[in-house]
Amino acid sequence: MADEVMSDQEAYFLERIDRGDRIEAEDWMPEEYRNQLVRLIAMHAVSEIMGALPEKEWVPRAPTLYRRLAITAKVQDEVGHGQLLIRVAEDLMRPWGKNREDIMSDLFSGRLKYHNVFHMATPTWADAGIIGWLVDGAAVITQGMSLTCSYAPYARALQRIVEEEGFHIQHGESICMALAEGTPMQRAMLQDALNRWWPALLMFFGPPEKSQLSTNQLRNIRWRIRSKTNEELRQRFFTKYVHRIWSLGLTIPDPTLRQDPETKEWTYQQPDWNEFRAIVNNQGPRSVARLGLRSTTYAEGEWVRAMISRSSMAV
Amino acid sequence: MAHLDFDVYEVFAQPDSMSPHVHVFNVLASSPDMALALAEENFFRRESYTNLWVVRRDHIHQLGFKDRDGFQKTVKSYRTTDDYKYLRDKWRYYREHPMRPGGGEASERVDD
Amino acid sequence: MNGWTTEEVKESPEILEMLADLLFQLADDDFVLGYRDQEWLGLAPHIEEDVAFGSIAQEQIGHATFYYHLLESLGVGRADDLASLRPGEQRRNAVLLEQPNGENGDFLNQPHFDWAWTIVRHYLYDVWDIARLNLLKESRFVPLAEAAEKILGEKRYHRAHQELWIRTMAKHDTLSRQKLQKALGEAFGWVGDLVSFGRFQGRLEEHGVITSVEPAVRRYWVEVQDFLRSEGLIVPEVSSVMNGRLGEHTDALGEALARLSEVYRLDPSASW
Repeated sequence: MADEVMSDQEAYFLERIDRGDRIEAEDWMPEEYRNQLVRLIAMHAVSEIMGALPEKEWVPRAPTLYRRLAITAKVQDEVGHGQLLIRVAEDLMRPWGKNREDIMSDLFSGRLKYHNVFHMATPTWADAGIIGWLVDGAAVITQGMSLTCSYAPYARALQRIVEEEGFHIQHGESICMALAEGTPMQRAMLQDALNRWWPALLMFFGPPEKSQLSTNQLRNIRWRIRSKTNEELRQRFFTKYVHRIWSLGLTIPDPTLRQDPETKEWTYQQPDWNEFRAIVNNQGPRSVARLGLRSTTYAEGEWVRAMISRSSMAV
Repeated sequence: MAHLDFDVYEVFAQPDSMSPHVHVFNVLASSPDMALALAEENFFRRESYTNLWVVRRDHIHQLGFKDRDGFQKTVKSYRTTDDYKYLRDKWRYYREHPMRPGGGEASERVDD
Repeated sequence: MNGWTTEEVKESPEILEMLADLLFQLADDDFVLGYRDQEWLGLAPHIEEDVAFGSIAQEQIGHATFYYHLLESLGVGRADDLASLRPGEQRRNAVLLEQPNGENGDFLNQPHFDWAWTIVRHYLYDVWDIARLNLLKESRFVPLAEAAEKILGEKRYHRAHQELWIRTMAKHDTLSRQKLQKALGEAFGWVGDLVSFGRFQGRLEEHGVITSVEPAVRRYWVEVQDFLRSEGLIVPEVSSVMNGRLGEHTDALGEALARLSEVYRLDPSASW
C-alpha cells in the first residue's frame, strides 16, 4: 500500500516536472531528487563562501579608492550569494535534521568539495581582474543554464545571483581593460594572470562527457536540474570570450585553440584532468591555506553564533 | 452586544514561481485555513496566482518609525552596471582595432 | 559668518592649512577603520552578518573617498595619492582606529580577529562621528556642511548596528559579557585623542569651521556612559597613549599603510 502511494506521488511529481512546473521546499519529492539538489546546491554555496577568499585577498589592497569600493561591493555580493544558496540548501536538509553548521563542517572535513577555481593562488591584482571577468563569466554560463531548474527556490536564488553577476563581470572587465591599456608592467601582470588561470577556467566546466552521458547526468536532465552538458557550456565560454581576450592583444596559452569555421566547434588542449581531481580534493595550491583560514575564523566566531542561535540564551 | 475581536492575516501572492510573494492586503479570520480561503475570494476574483501566503500580523516585525526615515543611503553607482557603460564602446573599438600582443594597436582585424 | 566656498578657501593659505588638517582627520579616520572593516570581509562569524558588515566597510571607505576628493578640489593633491601615499606621520586619524582587529591582525596570515573588540571600537567611533558630523552641519565651509547631513544617515545605521551587537553580547551570557568588558577596557585605553581636533582646534572654532566642541565632547561621554551602564557594563577610565591628530601613531598604522598601498605604489602614475 505504502509503495503504491509512493509511486502515485512519484508519477505526479514527474508529471509536474514535464509540465514545466517547479517544485517548492515543502512539496513532496523523491529522496534521490533531494539528494541530488543538496549535493549540487551545498557545493555551490560553499564555492561562493570559499570563492570570496581569493579576491578578498585584494580587497584591502585595491589600488584606488574607486576600485576599493567596487571590489568590496563585489566580494560582499559573493558572500551574499553564499547566504542565498546556503539558505536554499538548509531548507532541503531540514527533514534530515541538518543545517548550515553541518554544511560548514563537511566543508572543513573535506567531505564537501568546492569549485576548482577557488583553490588557485591570486598573487597579483590582475588575478582579481581575471576572476571578475572570466571566472564570473564562466559562472554565469553555468548558472544561466540552471535558471530553468525545476527546483524553484534554487532558480529564484540564481535569478538574483545572475542579476548581480552583470556588475561583477563588468567590474572585472574594467580592471582587465585598464591593465591591458596600461603600462608594459600592467600588461605583463595581466598576461601572467591569464596564463595562470586558463587551465583552471577550462576545468571549471568539468571533464568533457564520454560519448554516453552518465546515469547521474541523465537523471538530472530528466528532473530538469540541469539542461546542458559540461562540454556544451565550455564551448559557449570559448565562443563568448576567446575573441575578446585576443582583441586585447593577450595570448591564450594554448596554440592549438581554434574554431571550426563550419561547425563552429572549438578544439583545444585538454587541461590535466588528474590535476583537476587533485585540486577539488583539496590538493590545490591554496586549498589547505584557505580552508585553514576559513575554519579557524569560523571556530573563533562560534561564540557569536551561539549567542544568536535559537536557545534559551538568545537575546 | 459582546465586543468581538479577530486576528488580522496579511495576504501575500506569488504571480509565478520565479517571482517573489507580494503583499496584497489583509483579512480578518479565525485560522490560517480560513484566511487562505477568504483571501482567495476577496482579492483574486480576476487575477490568478501560483501561490498564496497568509501571515498573522502579530508575527510580522517592522522598522521603527524613526529608523524608516533615518537610514538614508548615499548613492553607490560603483556597484551597478551604470558605471561601466563605457566598456561597450571599448570592446567594439578593440574588436575593430585589436591591440598587438606587446601592447598598442595592431592593424589587422580580429575575426568575430 | 558668511559661508566659504572651495574657491574662497583656496585663496587663503592660512585657512586652507587648518581646513585641510581637519579634512585629513575626517578622511583618515574613515579610511583606516574602513580598511580594518574590509579585512573582515568573508570571515565574519555569521554569514548574514558578513554581508551586513560589508556594507559598513564600504560606507566607511565611501565617506573617506568623499573627504579625499574634497581635499583634491582644494588643490591639496590627488585623492588616490592622499589616501595611499602619505606616510604615517602625516596621517591624522585617531590611534584607536588603526589598531588591528585582533591578535596577529593581518588578514593574509592566519588572523585571529576579535568580534567584541571590533564592535566596541566601531561603536565608540560611530557615536563620536555622529556628534562631530552634527557640529559640521553648521560648518562655515559649505561643501562640508552639505555633505554632513548625507553621511549622517549611514552613520546612524552603523551606530544602531553596533548598539544591537553590544546589547546582544551584554545580555547573552558570562562569556560574551566578559569578552565585551575586556574589549571596552582595551578600547578606552586608546580612545583619548578620538574626541580632539588637532593643532588647529582653537582656530577652527574661531573661524566657525567647527563650533561648540566642548559641549559636544561632554554629551558624547554622557551618551556612551549611559548606554554602557544601562547594559550593566563597567565604564573604564579614559586614557590616551598617543595623539593621532598630531601624527603620532603605532606600528599598526605603518603596517596597514604598507599593505593597503601595495598595488598603487607599483606605479602611482598608471591608470588602475
